[in-house]
Parts: sequence; structure tokens; C-alpha cells
Amino acid sequence: MAPPRTGWSRRAQYGLFFSFIAAIAGLAIGLILLALSIASPERFKDLKGMALDVTAPVTGALRQINTTASGLASGAGSYWDAANQNAELRRQRDQMREQLVTARAILQENRQLKAALQLREQTSDVVATGRLVGSSFESPRRFAILSAGARDGVKVGMPIRAARGLIGRTIDVGTLASRVLLVSDRANIVPSRLLRTGQAVICQGRGDGTVELKPLEVGRNPFHRGDIVITSGTGGLYPPLVPIARVIRLDGDNAIAVPLADPGGVSFAIVEQPYEPEATAPLTENDEGLP
Amino acid sequence: MVRAALASKKIGQGPVPGAVYVPAASVVAASLFAVLPIVAENGWFPDCGFLMLIGWRLRRTDAWPSWWAAPLGLLNDLFAGNPLGLSVTVWTFSMLVLDLLDRRTIWRDYWIEWALATLFVLLYESAQWLVAAWMGARVPFLFMLPPIFISVAAFPVAAWFVGRIDSWRLGRR
Repeated sequence: MAPPRTGWSRRAQYGLFFSFIAAIAGLAIGLILLALSIASPERFKDLKGMALDVTAPVTGALRQINTTASGLASGAGSYWDAANQNAELRRQRDQMREQLVTARAILQENRQLKAALQLREQTSDVVATGRLVGSSFESPRRFAILSAGARDGVKVGMPIRAARGLIGRTIDVGTLASRVLLVSDRANIVPSRLLRTGQAVICQGRGDGTVELKPLEVGRNPFHRGDIVITSGTGGLYPPLVPIARVIRLDGDNAIAVPLADPGGVSFAIVEQPYEPEATAPLTENDEGLP
Repeated sequence: MVRAALASKKIGQGPVPGAVYVPAASVVAASLFAVLPIVAENGWFPDCGFLMLIGWRLRRTDAWPSWWAAPLGLLNDLFAGNPLGLSVTVWTFSMLVLDLLDRRTIWRDYWIEWALATLFVLLYESAQWLVAAWMGARVPFLFMLPPIFISVAAFPVAAWFVGRIDSWRLGRR
């Protein structure tokens, strides 16, 4: 049929014909697989987990080499301007010390107030720590590979954060590694609030490394440049009070912000328990269409 | 062409052992680029496996039976973390389209091959974009333009590698 003519050999003609039929069968299988993956992304989780286990150690090892090499370069660079850096750091330390005293006072006051209110909070338990070793740099989706998996107790739907801020949540888990849906992915929506005013906002990724912030209430644009957005804990997946992003510009009623934890720059990522596990259990089942 | 080359018995001039599987193996190797430890803010990198696939198929009609594109695509999906079936579908479809095109084309040159590769890259990236949109991640198509341009620009590099690998596997130095 379609493939190039092969002359008079009946055997060669049949070979090409069957290859053509097999290709059409392959196309049909591909379409079915794709339809299944879109309809329920959870379906092939064992296969995807296995693939992660095979590839992630390689990525991790290469990452290690990369980090060592760039560490040598930046380590040498740090000596270059040491005197000025030293002075600058001293100045910052003194400033921080003042802020620390204020923060301690606030913390104490907060504790007393909470005790008075009999507030019970779920403590955030660290499940595992890992490194972000790779990412989906070939596709419009924003995934990262985390070097911690089911062996370390990681499960699908756990929040991931770094010291600087929120990174995302797990969507595929292998034995040794897991795949993280980054905050900047379009399908990742984080209930959050503005640190300055406490106003509730929705934070959604844009797919290019930034996030879009939408206020929940209609009205004047509440954002200013430099505003910090933190998680609100609504929905029960992400723990509250984790910094997410900093506003860089306003866009109509919304704002564009940059995540505070740059997945390329963080050295360690922390996997935590879902904030309220009982709240996420039904949610993840309903939410399967949106990984 | 290949059959004639495979049959040659000159000492030191013959094809390497397993020359028939070299094209497919090189596509898998290119798919493995996804394992590189790059943590990027956006997906600008070309899909090397697909570029190699198109490069091989444009160079040789009989690089592999067209249905091999399906398992090769499955491996690419697994390595790159795409939704399973995306590369399977697009890669096999591209092979079928090229089989049909081969019956119609009278002649070809580098420019036509590059134009064909551009069309297939466009198809692949659009499919990626559409599937992402169906899975809840609808980004403006504008974001797809840089990766498309980079992939199109990277195709000649892939084609050059294909040429080098091809002459190595057939023992033509």
C-alpha cells in the first residue's frame, strides 16, 4: 500500500503491507493510551513510577557532577569581593538581629493568643527531604524530578516546599524518585492570601516560570509591586503561611508574580504531609482530571 | 541502497554489526536527553528524539518498519514524562504521513526536507500544547513559539548527526 514500491518480490510487498497495518495498529493504540492518560492521569502510575526509578538516579548523578563543577566556580568567585561582602553581611546581620527580637515578641504574643483561643493546628510533619534533580524542559508542562520516592514515604498529592517557599506537589511517585507539579504549572492552583492585607487570592501558574494572582473579591486591584503572597491553607493540601511568590507587575485586575523558591536554585526540597489529610482525601478523587 | 551496502563484503568496509538497529537505538539515545539534569523555568528545549526520528526517516525510507515508531514513542513518553500515548500517536502518524508522501514526491532537496521537518515539529508541538490544554494546563500558544523555532533550527544539527551515524553504520568512511 502506502510504502514505496519494492519491485516484484511478493515477500517484500507483503512485508511492507504488514508493516503498514502494524503502524496503523500502533497509531490506534497510541490514541487509546492518550485518551486514557487524559481521562485519568492516575491510570499508568506504576509504569510511570518505574520509568522514574530508571531515569532519576542517572539524572541525580549527573546533577551531582554539575553542582560540584558550578560550586567550584562560584566558590572561587566568592573570594573575589570578600571584604565588601563581609561588610554587607555584617550590616544585614545587625538589621536581622533587630528584626529577630521583634519577631520573637510577636511569636510569644501569638502563642498566648492561640492558647487563649484553644486553636488546634495540625503540625506539619516532614516526610522526606530530597533534591530537585531534573525537570520537563521539553514540554509546556512544568514538572520537576525529586530524588525521594515511595521508599522514603512519599505519596501522590503531598506538598513540597523549600526553605524559601512553596515548590509544588507530587503527582507521580516511583520507589526512588517522584515527579513534582511545580507552582508555575498552569494546572497548579494554590489558594493563597496577600501577606500585607490578608486578602484571599488565587495563585495559578502560567507555564513560563511565573504565576498569575487573581483576587477572589471583585474591586480595585489589591496588588503592589513587591507584595508577597503566602498559602492560606484553604483546601487542606498546602499548609498555611508558606511564602509562594513576589509580585513583579500588575496585569489588569490580576498580577504576575515570580515564585520565591526557584526550582533550579534550591538545594533541598522538603516533602510534607498534606495539611489536613482528611480534607484532601475526597478532593484528590474528584480532582483526578486536573493533575 | 541499504541492502546493497549491507551485502558488501569488502574487508574493513562492511557495515557494523547490528547496523539495522542503529537508527532506532540512536533515537532512543536522543530521547534520553530528557534525563539531563536541567531544571528549567520553561520548556524551551527541542525534543531530540523526535528530531532524530524525522531526520532518519527523511534520509532513509527503510530506516525501520514504520510501526517501530510506536514503541520508540512509548519510550520517549516514559523518559520525558509526557502523558503516555502522546509521542506514540504523533510519531506513528508522522511515519505514516511520510510513507504516503514518499509515493507522491518526485524529487527532494535540503530545503524541502527542512520544510517537511518544520511541518512535523509544528504538528508535534501543537499536539503537546493541545494535550496539555485538555489536561487543565492551557497556556497561550505564544509560549510554544520559542520551542518551535529552536526545534526547527536544531533540525539540521540532528540531520547532520544522522548522516554521520548512517555512514558509520554502513562502513562508508
